[in-house]
Order: sequence, then structure tokens, then C-alpha cells
Amino acid sequence: MNLLWWFALPVVLLPIWWHRRKRIENKAELMATARFLPRAEPRQTRVWRWSDPLLLLVRCLLLACLIAWLANPVFPQRGDTVIVTQGADAAWAARQAADAGLAQAERITLPGAQALNWVHAHQRELRPDARLLVLGDVPMRASRPVFGRQVELRAHAAKPANLEHHVFIASERAAEWRRMFTALDGPENVVVDAAPGAATSLIVWDRPAAPPASMKASLWLVTDPAAFPELAKAASLGALRYAATTRGRVWYNAAWPPRDADSARRLLDDWQQLHVGPRPYMLQSQVFAASKEARAPAPSGGLRDILLIALVALFVLERSLAHVRRR
Amino acid sequence: MALVSSALIAHTTKLDLVIRHVLAGLGHGIHAGRERGAGVEFSEYRAYAPGDEWRRVDWKLAARADRYFVREAERDSHVAVWLVLDASASMAEPSRSVEGLDKLSYARTQLGCVAAIAQRQGDAFGLLVLGDGKAAFTPAARGPRQLQRVLAQLSKARAGGALPDATTLKASLHFAVSPSAVYAASDLLDWPSPLSQALLRLRQMRHDVRVLGLQTQAEIDASFSDAQSYRDPEQDEGVFRFGADLKDGYRRNREAHFAGVAAQARKNDMPLLLAAIEQAPGEVLRRWLRRPGGR
Repeated sequence: MNLLWWFALPVVLLPIWWHRRKRIENKAELMATARFLPRAEPRQTRVWRWSDPLLLLVRCLLLACLIAWLANPVFPQRGDTVIVTQGADAAWAARQAADAGLAQAERITLPGAQALNWVHAHQRELRPDARLLVLGDVPMRASRPVFGRQVELRAHAAKPANLEHHVFIASERAAEWRRMFTALDGPENVVVDAAPGAATSLIVWDRPAAPPASMKASLWLVTDPAAFPELAKAASLGALRYAATTRGRVWYNAAWPPRDADSARRLLDDWQQLHVGPRPYMLQSQVFAASKEARAPAPSGGLRDILLIALVALFVLERSLAHVRRR
Repeated sequence: MALVSSALIAHTTKLDLVIRHVLAGLGHGIHAGRERGAGVEFSEYRAYAPGDEWRRVDWKLAARADRYFVREAERDSHVAVWLVLDASASMAEPSRSVEGLDKLSYARTQLGCVAAIAQRQGDAFGLLVLGDGKAAFTPAARGPRQLQRVLAQLSKARAGGALPDATTLKASLHFAVSPSAVYAASDLLDWPSPLSQALLRLRQMRHDVRVLGLQTQAEIDASFSDAQSYRDPEQDEGVFRFGADLKDGYRRNREAHFAGVAAQARKNDMPLLLAAIEQAPGEVLRRWLRRPGGR
């Protein structure tokens, strides 16, 4: 789509035509005794000459620059590239790069979720003979990605990051609540804060009094509905009642804290599913062949900024020159 | 005072100033026949106008009436001077060497000088400006007011269009009843033309017709730039080129044309002066006004 702008290049002929025509119109001078001369052919007087060649040049450049800016050209200057996701084992990545013959290649470190997006946006910047290797843990997407060039992916499960969830417990039965959180398995672990802070994502409110208005968290576990008036009209799911308040989402169950391991795990799973989110699958090692169906990638930076600056500079220059000419 | 050069015409738009300078450069010999009005028989009082001599003001009357009056004397001069200015488009031809000078401004100065001389001599004088297909007529009269009127008309004249046709011109020649002197300034490029026919007819009616043919030095030398093309100001279509190869042809055509004009003038005993506008206006004026028989 962008490339169609190049067909607008003949617009550059317009200033050329204007600057040439004016010359012809001004050329003939009056001479009272012209009757003593023989008639000349008018075409002989049409000398191909420009008025204001500098202004003409600037105008042509301005138009060409504008079209180039609209066409958003990409200059393929990037060589072999290795993309390593964050958290990947550095020794393993170096080994894989050397194995693929890309030990000297440029290395870019990106979060795993952004690696394929980066490839998609920047694939036109690579030289045609350059190779692209993605190393590490890339989350799988709903559909298989398609690229305009060959991309090789070597997967290696990243060491799980230390995922912490800050929890504040306001309860007389704090020990029972803490016991519930020990049932949590997986990479996450729970840190119980002494006082609620900005990082606190879960608050256990096991008191009849209402919490202070400044306290906020994405989820509250409540055992007494008196503390939250919103619970009076809340929807219910079995024994659970839930409501969205200005302080965050509130879950209420009179039977809490859970008495056994099963109900504790069920509650933690629900919390995990609805508030922390599921963990993605890892995309397996594979080679994406170059595909013709790859959509034109979204506009990418570099040259576009330079062209924009050139465009502004040329515009200022053109206006100044035109002004000087009029005076 | 040295003769005023034609560059003065290019540099000022004040016609009366240029005329004063040109006439001052000529001295007094040019208008020897001037009659002094003061001593001659009194005829009437007239209101003072700028340009009148102070010594002709009647001071006693001024003391009585608190206004200036000039004693007007009876004049004997019956000769009317007619100034004919060709203001067709070709008169806009500029001098290629003196910036800002063209044939029309030069002709304007010459005719203005003649008018000033006629006013000093006490002759009646009138003006006929031919241009844009029309003839603008200023009736003949005497005095400083008339001089101002004529100079204003001369300054107003702009080169444009063609000469009026024969019938229009003929209708403007009704002045030719009394003996008169006709001073015509033109570039004479249209010849024969309604103007040439009118001048010859006036000459045949025994009027004193003097023609000033204006040229530029570039025309005389055939020295135009060949870098550009040219158009004829009185013809719309056609483009002309000038070059070294066309120089001889141009000169030949031009000389043949003016030889024909001069021959016809001589045959009708009509003095014709061809002058370049780069020449000093005072000198040209002296030669134009000189009597055909000699000084």
C-alpha cells in the first residue's frame, strides 16, 4: 500500500513545467522597428531555460521527499541477527548461536512476549542474505506466525522468574490464612506484608469494621459482609458472593478461611485463573519458512524520522526562497 | 550653461523643469521675435496666474482690489502654433543605452519647449495628441495658463494603440483655417499613414509644417541584443529575432523606408529632421526650429 506512493513521483514534473513556462512568456521584448526584420519561427525562441533554478531544485526535492516520506521506505542495513529472550540461559544462547554460525551476529535481548513482534516489524530492515535466529522462551500464540523471510526459533525453557504476590492479612486468624497460602504451588510465591502498600494485590479482610478508604487492592477476600455495603446487592455463585467496588474486587464467603487443603487449593486456583492469569505454553523449536502471504509490516522508524526532518527543512527553505524572489 | 543631456529627461518627471533647463541652455537667440506686452496698447485686465511677470502686475489696482491683476496688451501675432504628438504604441521604444529614456518622453520635452517658446512670444498654441485610435485636442490659446494646460496634457500622454484613422484625424484638422505653424513629433515608422497624409495636406494649404522624426541610437547602428526575441508593439502576432546575419538587411530596409519619407518631405517642401533621442535635446530643438533658409 505504501509503495503505491512512488507512483506519485511524476508530480515533481509540475514545478519543472512551471519554472520553464514563465521564462518563455517573459522573453519577447518590444521593438518598434521590428517591421524591418524578417519573421522568425516562434519555436526558435523557446529556449529550454529555467527561472530560479535554486527554488526549482528545492521544490523538486521537497515533493520527492514528501512522497518518500509517505511511501515509508526501509533501507535494509541490518546483518545477521540473533534475538535472545530475557531470562534465557546465556551460556546456552551463546552455544546455540555458535552452533548456527552466528556467533558474531548482532545480539538483541527482548522480553519473550515481544520477540516475534519485533521480528514482524523489523524484518524488512534485514539485508536479503541476512539470517535471523530467535533463542529462548517465546510464548505460543493462538495462530502460527507468518514472516516474509526465514526465521529460525530454538526454544529453551527459561528459568522461572521469581514471581511474588504481595498479600496483606488483616485477621485475628492470621495463622489459618497463612496456612492456606502454603497450598500454592508453581513458580509464584506469596509474600505477606506487614502493612498494605502499592504492590499489594490481595487483601484478606477478616474483620467486621470497614477498611480505611485509602486501602486498595485488585482482590479482597472478605468474611464479614458488614465491612462492605456493596455486598448487600452482590451476585452470588454458590456460597461465594462477589462485587466490584471502588477499592477493588470483593469476594465474600462466610465459610472462610478454608478448613482443608482441597478447598484452599480451589480458592487459590480461582484466584490464579481470574487475577494472575494463565501461564502461556512455550513455542517449540522450529523454522518458519519465508511466506508470500506475510502482510506488509507496520511502518518502522529510522528513515521516516530523517525524511520528516528533511521535509521540514526543505519547506522552510522553499518558503524563504519564494519570499526573497517576490521582493 | 552646457547643453542638457537627454539623461535629464529620463531622470525627472517634471516636464516644466526639463523645459526650463533646455531653454536656459539655449540662451535667448531662440526667441528673438518676442514682443513685449507691457508698452503696447492696453486692452484688458486679467487675473494673475503663476508664471506671469511681476512687472506686468498693476500694483495700484492690487492696492485697491487686494488682488493681483495683470495688464494684458493687444498682440499682433496672428500665427497659431500647433503641436502634434504621436503617442502610438511604437513611441514607447526605449533607448537601449540610456536607462529610462524613450521616444515619447523625448518628443514630449521637445513639444513642451516649443510650447514654452510660443508662450514667451505671445503666440497662441494648441495641442493634438494622437494615440489609442483617438485624437485628443487642446484648443489654441495664449498665456501661462495655456502653457500649464498643454504641459499637463503632454505629461498625461501614454504610448499605446495605433494612430487614429484618416476620418478621425481629418475631423481634428478644422483649426487649419488661419495661418499656423505645425510642429509634429513622431517616429515616422508608419509612412504613408493618416498622419503623413494630414501633414502633407496641411503643407499644401501653405502652413509651416515641421516634422521631427525620432530614432534611437540602437536603430541607427542596428545594434540590438541577439539574446532575446522581439515583438512589434503595434502588431499582435509574430516574433522577430535579431542577429549578426540580419543586421545588413535591417539597416537596408530601414534606410529605404526613411529615404522614402525624406524624399516625400523634400518634394512637398516640408522640413524634416531625423534625430536620435540620445542627442542633447537643446541641440535637436535648435536644429528643428532653424529656418529652412539658414540662421
